[in-house]
Amino acid sequence: MTIRKRSASIRLARMRKSFAIKPLALGVASVFLSACGGDRQESVIYTTLDECIEDNPAEAAATCRTAYEEALAEATRTGPKFATESDCEYEFGTHQCREVDTDRGSFFMPFMAGYMVSNLLSPNRYYYQPLYTSYSPYSPFRMRWAMADGTVFDGDIRKRNYRVRSSTYDKKPAVTRTIKRGGFGSSVRAKSSWGSSSRKSGWGG
Amino acid sequence: MLRIPIAERQNWRQRATEFGFHFHTMYGEPYWDESAYYQFTLAQIENDLEDPTAELHQMCLAVVERVVNSEALLQKFQIPEAFWSVIADSWQRRDPSLYSRLDLVYDGKGPAKLLENNADTPTSLYESGFWQWLWLEDNVNTGKLPRQSDQFNSLQEKLVNRLAFIARQKNMEQLHFSCCKDTVEDRGTVQYLQDCAAEAGIANRFVFIEDIGLGIDADDMQVFTDLDDRRIDACFKLYPWEFMQREAFADAILQCPTQWLEPLWKTVLSNKALMPLLWDMFPNHPNLLPAYFASDVNAGNVNLAKTQRWVHKPIYSREGANIKITEGDNTVLETDGPYGEEGMIVQAFHALPRYADNHTLIGSWLVDDVPAGISVREDRSPITQDLSRYIPHIIV
Repeated sequence: MTIRKRSASIRLARMRKSFAIKPLALGVASVFLSACGGDRQESVIYTTLDECIEDNPAEAAATCRTAYEEALAEATRTGPKFATESDCEYEFGTHQCREVDTDRGSFFMPFMAGYMVSNLLSPNRYYYQPLYTSYSPYSPFRMRWAMADGTVFDGDIRKRNYRVRSSTYDKKPAVTRTIKRGGFGSSVRAKSSWGSSSRKSGWGG
Repeated sequence: MLRIPIAERQNWRQRATEFGFHFHTMYGEPYWDESAYYQFTLAQIENDLEDPTAELHQMCLAVVERVVNSEALLQKFQIPEAFWSVIADSWQRRDPSLYSRLDLVYDGKGPAKLLENNADTPTSLYESGFWQWLWLEDNVNTGKLPRQSDQFNSLQEKLVNRLAFIARQKNMEQLHFSCCKDTVEDRGTVQYLQDCAAEAGIANRFVFIEDIGLGIDADDMQVFTDLDDRRIDACFKLYPWEFMQREAFADAILQCPTQWLEPLWKTVLSNKALMPLLWDMFPNHPNLLPAYFASDVNAGNVNLAKTQRWVHKPIYSREGANIKITEGDNTVLETDGPYGEEGMIVQAFHALPRYADNHTLIGSWLVDDVPAGISVREDRSPITQDLSRYIPHIIV
């Protein structure tokens, strides 16, 4: 038996940068469909803590409360942040934003408009996720449920029951505010891309 | 070790386009050259290159251990004082490293000699790990080279496995990749590592080093950011530590929790002050050349033999810049460049072997601490620069 001194398993298709043969739509679609499979969680959206308590058996009340508080904390951590109130209101509507003070300055965030939960009867394995909605005529989130990373749920805010993949409940990355750029490399190109509501690509994430 | 002419693959330029090899010709000169290849025996590869590479690497790590524990040596290595403790911490934690390239003088017989260690930002990775592999595969498939031909090159396999290991160990959700703007070669090298990361199942993002931002996250922590204001939690940078430690964001490196690849302790290895330290700790080792700090020579602590040529190199320099060769009081050869103000070392001259009109240099790769393959570069000048040509190799 000979021992090879070179890589045995380079997948050439993975290394291609341009198509040798145009791919068939079918091949792409089947990959896409299989990626969409997987388990789904029955989920409900509540806009208040009381809604949750009323809607569930008595033994779920404590979990409703914990999930609500955790969602609120998560909203402060990961929610979209704006430099000015008008930028925030442009996206979320008049009086829909609050000012948050930190020792590095203040910024504006939308209120948590609701929270999505599932598995409430299983106190160790329940899920929660803060949600936002917009009352602004200029926003793609108007009257719809959205997550902190800009993902929008189908249907309008009257829809409260969804079957979602469990990855929907993954914690969103904390939103970052860039103060300056150009501190590495030879060319200094200071650029801050934060703070304008005209961004098309959602909020960081 | 032979240099053997061979016909170029007729379609190799198309193949280059297909696989995104965009820098096979640079500055109007061919860089990738497949009009010939080098042929090694398995004994040459294993006994003369692979084993010494593993041993030299362990010797280099012994130097790191000594330097991070000595303020006098950190000073001599011209490492900014603000970084002394974080470099030591990075070493004590054994922050994971990805890869290195040792440059060796080797002519097929006798011990290979270490010229320097490119431990921080080695390039020619794509050509080595993938492109010369594909050259052999194509030539074997068309019957131009015998089917049993092999190559010392498991770089890609090892890079994929190593990246997967690091991502698991450090619990990385994603890995950023970065290099300078306006260099197609560096961008190609980084893209290759992104491809390896993708193959390892790691989410990867690219940001130019000039575009990296400094921001605060939702927990009010200082973080580096990319152009989408995403936190850079982990970053491979093809940009030298010695530059980063002297630029505007140097202080931020100390504050931000970013996991860097290569890790901070590689600052010690990518520094040519490594060479005199190796000679001091492992004198007369068969794979080492005598080397000294120029300051010790100038102070009269070391006498350079007049009968032999000496190479003067800046502590920080890349691709053959600012190098001078002397013999006695005469300067035999000198290259210019922007380096040298941080101090110099002196290393015994050891001529590169000549094949036809070419001076040939071996690059010996490691992934973490495991030898992973070689690359062969040729230059018309006895000092290899970034205009040298890359020649594939085989083992028969």
